Amino acid sequence: MSAELSNRAAEAVELARKAGADDVWATAVQQRSVQFEYRKGALEKVQDTTSRALAVQVYANGRYSSHQTTDLEPERMKGFLAEAVAITRALEPDPSRQITPPELFRDRPGQPLDLVDARVQQIDRDQRVAWCRAIDEVAAAHERVISATGAVEDGSSQSASASSNGFLGMQESTYCWYGASVTLKDRGDRRAEDGFYAGGTHLEALPQPGKVAQVALDRALARLDSEKGPTSRTAMVVDARAAASLVGRLLGPANAQSIQQGRSFWAGLTGQKAFSDKLTLIDDPLIPRGLGSRHYDSEGISAKVLPIIEAGVVRNLYVDTYYGRKAGLAPTTGSRSNLRVQTGRHSLEQLLAEVGNGIYVTSWLGGNTDGTTGDFSLGLRGHVIENGRIGRPVGEMNVTGNLRSLFSRLELVGNDPYPYSTTLAPSLVFSGVDFSGA
Amino acid sequence: MNRTRREFLGTMAAGSAALTMPAFLGACGVQRAVSVADKLPENPFMEWFGVDQATVARVMSEMTANGADAADLYFQHSRRNTLTLEDGIVSRAFSGIDQGVGLRVVIGEQTGYAFTEDLTLASMLSAARTAAAIAAGGRVAAPQAFAPRDLGGLYTVSVPWSEVGIDRKLPILKFVESKAKSFDPAVEKVSVYWTDVDERVMIATLDGSLVMDHRPMATMYTVVTARKGDEVQTGYSNIAARQEFDWYTEERLTAMAREAVDRTVVLFDAKRPPAGEMPVVLASGSSGILLHEAIGHGMEADFNRKGTSIYSDMIGKQVAEPFITIVDQATIPGERGALNYDDEGNPAGRTVLVENGILKSYLHDRISARQYGLKPTGSGRRESYKHAPMPRMSCTFMEAGPHTREEIIASVDRGILAETFTNGQVQIGAGDYTFYVKNGWMIEDGKLTAPIKDVNIIGNGPESLKRITMVANDARLDTGGWTCGKNGQGVPVSQGIPTVLVSRMTVGGENVG
Repeated sequence: MSAELSNRAAEAVELARKAGADDVWATAVQQRSVQFEYRKGALEKVQDTTSRALAVQVYANGRYSSHQTTDLEPERMKGFLAEAVAITRALEPDPSRQITPPELFRDRPGQPLDLVDARVQQIDRDQRVAWCRAIDEVAAAHERVISATGAVEDGSSQSASASSNGFLGMQESTYCWYGASVTLKDRGDRRAEDGFYAGGTHLEALPQPGKVAQVALDRALARLDSEKGPTSRTAMVVDARAAASLVGRLLGPANAQSIQQGRSFWAGLTGQKAFSDKLTLIDDPLIPRGLGSRHYDSEGISAKVLPIIEAGVVRNLYVDTYYGRKAGLAPTTGSRSNLRVQTGRHSLEQLLAEVGNGIYVTSWLGGNTDGTTGDFSLGLRGHVIENGRIGRPVGEMNVTGNLRSLFSRLELVGNDPYPYSTTLAPSLVFSGVDFSGA
Repeated sequence: MNRTRREFLGTMAAGSAALTMPAFLGACGVQRAVSVADKLPENPFMEWFGVDQATVARVMSEMTANGADAADLYFQHSRRNTLTLEDGIVSRAFSGIDQGVGLRVVIGEQTGYAFTEDLTLASMLSAARTAAAIAAGGRVAAPQAFAPRDLGGLYTVSVPWSEVGIDRKLPILKFVESKAKSFDPAVEKVSVYWTDVDERVMIATLDGSLVMDHRPMATMYTVVTARKGDEVQTGYSNIAARQEFDWYTEERLTAMAREAVDRTVVLFDAKRPPAGEMPVVLASGSSGILLHEAIGHGMEADFNRKGTSIYSDMIGKQVAEPFITIVDQATIPGERGALNYDDEGNPAGRTVLVENGILKSYLHDRISARQYGLKPTGSGRRESYKHAPMPRMSCTFMEAGPHTREEIIASVDRGILAETFTNGQVQIGAGDYTFYVKNGWMIEDGKLTAPIKDVNIIGNGPESLKRITMVANDARLDTGGWTCGKNGQGVPVSQGIPTVLVSRMTVGGENVG
C-alpha cells in the first residue's frame, strides 16, 4: 500500500510538471474507518468505508493554487492536473508563495513514533460487537436511562507525499475509540445528557470499555436537576477535558497568518511575559504513540519540539512558509501537533479545596472568541464549588472575558492531563472570572 | 484547529448540534480554469462511468440480499472552487472534486452503510455486501428498472459554476475589496473569499425511483480589519445562495462590503453589556438562529424516536403564544437551504413545526417516518456520499406577527438588541441552547443607546418559546451562508425571523456588580 501511495504522489508530480508546472507538491491519502453504534441491545448502525484522495499544490509562473480529487481514474486524473496548472496561470503572481525549501525538510527526525498498532488492524466484527455489549451493559444500567448509545470506531490512515524539489515522505497511523452517550429522564420534559469516549493510536493504553461507559453514565447522572447558577465574579476551575478546548481557543490566533492579516492579539507578544507564569505550552510532535505525532507537517517541514509559552513568556508562534515570508518571521510549523500543557502538583480535589468557592466547568456550550482582541464569551455546564467540594450542577450560564487577561489570572495547574486528545491539558484554575446566570 | 477523533465522537455523543458561519481563517484558496477540460455532463454517472440502470439494479439486488425496509444508492459529483483575495491580490485558488457513491441498507432502526469512490461494478458490489451485513433475513425483491422523477425547478442553472472561468470571478473580488476600502479611512485590510459549488446527485431507491438534482451554491465572505491608533478590530459579512453568476449584482456586492465595514468600525465604540438575565430583542433575518437552536434541532425526529429530545412528548401542546407560527421549508427558490429532493430521494417540502403556538410536526427521514407511521417530510439530508442521511432542517423561519419593530424596542426598559451572529449550539435533551452575538445595541428606556459586541446568549428552548411575547410584521430570511453541523456532518441551511422580543434570557457580560 505504501508503495502504491508513494507512486501515486510521484506520478502526480510528474504529470503536473509535464502540464507546465514549475514546482509541485503532491500527497496521496488512504483512510479506512469502521464505526459501530449500538442501542437497546442491538446494532443500530454499521459503517465500513475506505476512502482515498489525491491533493496537489501547483507553482507556475510565480503563481500558486491547490487542488484535491477523489476521482483517480487515470485519464481524468491527467485532465484534472492539466486544469490545475491552467487555473494557476489565471491567478495573480505572488512572490511570497514558494515551494517548501529543502533546508526545511532535509533533516527529518528518524526516531520511531510507534503510531501503528497491529492489534488495531486486527479488530474484527465480533470484537466490536463484544465491546458494544460491554458498553451497553454499563451505560444503560440505570432506571433513569431513556437512551444510551454505545459506539466503537477504529481505522487507519496513510499518506505519502512527493515534491518536485526532492521531498519524499510517508506517514501512517491507527486509531481506536469507544464510549457512550447517555440520556436520562430529568424533571418535567428535560433530559440530562452527557457522554465519554476514550481512544488512542494503540489499544494497550485504553481503559476497559465498561469503565469508559461508567464514566459516561456518571457524567450524565451528575447533570440531573441542573439549574442556572448565579451571576457573579468568582474563581473558575476547568476540568481537564474542557481545559483542552479552552487552550485551543487561546492558541487559535497564535499563527503567522492571523498576525500578518492583523487579526491576532498575539501580535508583538513574542519574547514578552504575556500570561501567568504558571502557563507553559509545548508543541511536541515527537511523543511516541501520540494522537498528533508526526515526522513532518503538511508543508513537509521537519518536526521538532517547539516551546510556545514558557512560564508565561511567548517563545514561538505557528509560522508556515507563506505567511512567515509575508510577516518576516522564520518558519516553525504552520499547524499544531501534540500540545503539552505543563502540569502542576495538585489533584483536582486539591484544586477544588484550594479554591473553596467558585464554578467548576465540565463542558462548554457554544460561544466564540474574537481572535483580534481576545474577547470571548462561552456557554458552560458544570457545578458550583462550595466549601472546597463539588456542589449542585449548574448550566444555562455564560463566562465572558478576554483570553489574554484570563490566562494572566491562571492561578493553579492540576496534575491530571487529559489523555484522549492532541492537547494534553490538566485541570486549570482561574481567578476573578465573570459568570452570567440568574 | 485539529479535529481529533475524540472531538468527532464527542460531537456525536453530547446530543448537541452546532451552527456556524464558514471558517474563513486558514482557508485554502480555490478556482476553476478558463477553458480547459471537458464540460461536466448533465449526468456524469451514466456518461462517465457507464453506471447504467442494469448496473444500479445489480448493486441494489446485492444490497437487499439479507432483507431491507429501505435501501438507496447516492451518487454524487461535487466540484468546488474557491478564490482568495488578500493584501490586494487574488493569488490563491483551490479546486476540489468529490465523487463517489454511498450505499445504505435500512432495516427497522438499523442502518448498514458503505461508500466507494471507485465506481466500478466490482467496488460497488463489495460495498453493497458490507452495507447488507446489517440485516440477517431473507432476500427482498429489488427493482430491475428505475423510474426517473421530474427534475425540480428551485434553482435552475443556465451556466453551471463549473463552466464559469476565473477571468469572470476575479474582477468581482477586486470590486468588493475596492468598495470596502472606500467606505471608511480606518479600513486597513480587506480579504474576500469566494466559493462556488457545482454538485450533481443521483439517488436510486428500493421503491424503484430515480432522482437527479443539480445543485449550485454561491458563497462570498468579506473580512475587514480596521485600525484606530493602537486598536485593531475585525468584522465580516457574507452572502450565500443556490444561485448562478448573475446573482452577484453590483448592488448586492456593494451592500455586502458596506455591511462588513459598518460591522467592523462600530466595534471601536462597542462595549460588553452588563452580565445576567434581561429582555432580548432579536433583529429580523439572521436572528432566525434562535429558531434553529431553540426548537429546530429538537424537532428532528431521530432525537424524538429515541426519546432524547426535550420535545419528545410535546406534539399537540401549546408551546408558544398563538401569534407564533414556525416553519421549515425547503421549497423556497434559490435559498441556501433550498432542495428539490432530499438526500433520500423524497420530494422536499414544507413542514409546520409550530402553528399558532401549537407544536405540530417533527422533521422526518425514512427511518423515523416509518416508525411514526407517517410520510417522510423530505428532511433526510447528508453532507456527502460519505455519510448516511438523517433528519435535518432546510430553511427555518417564523411567520410575521402583529407588532412592529418600533413598538418592540420601545417596550424594553433595559435590555439588548442582538443583530449579528457567528454561531450557535444546543443540547437536545436539556434544551439549553446558545448563540454568539457579534454586534448589537443596548436598549435603555425604550431607545437604542450604545453598541455592544462579543457576548454569548444562553437560554432553554421551550422556556424561550414561551417567553417570545412580541413578534413584528417584518419577517425576512437571512442571506448569510450558514452551515449546520450534526453528528459530524455539515449541511447548508437558511433561517429567518421577524423582529421578536424574548422577555428574559441570560446574556454574557463583564460588568458583574
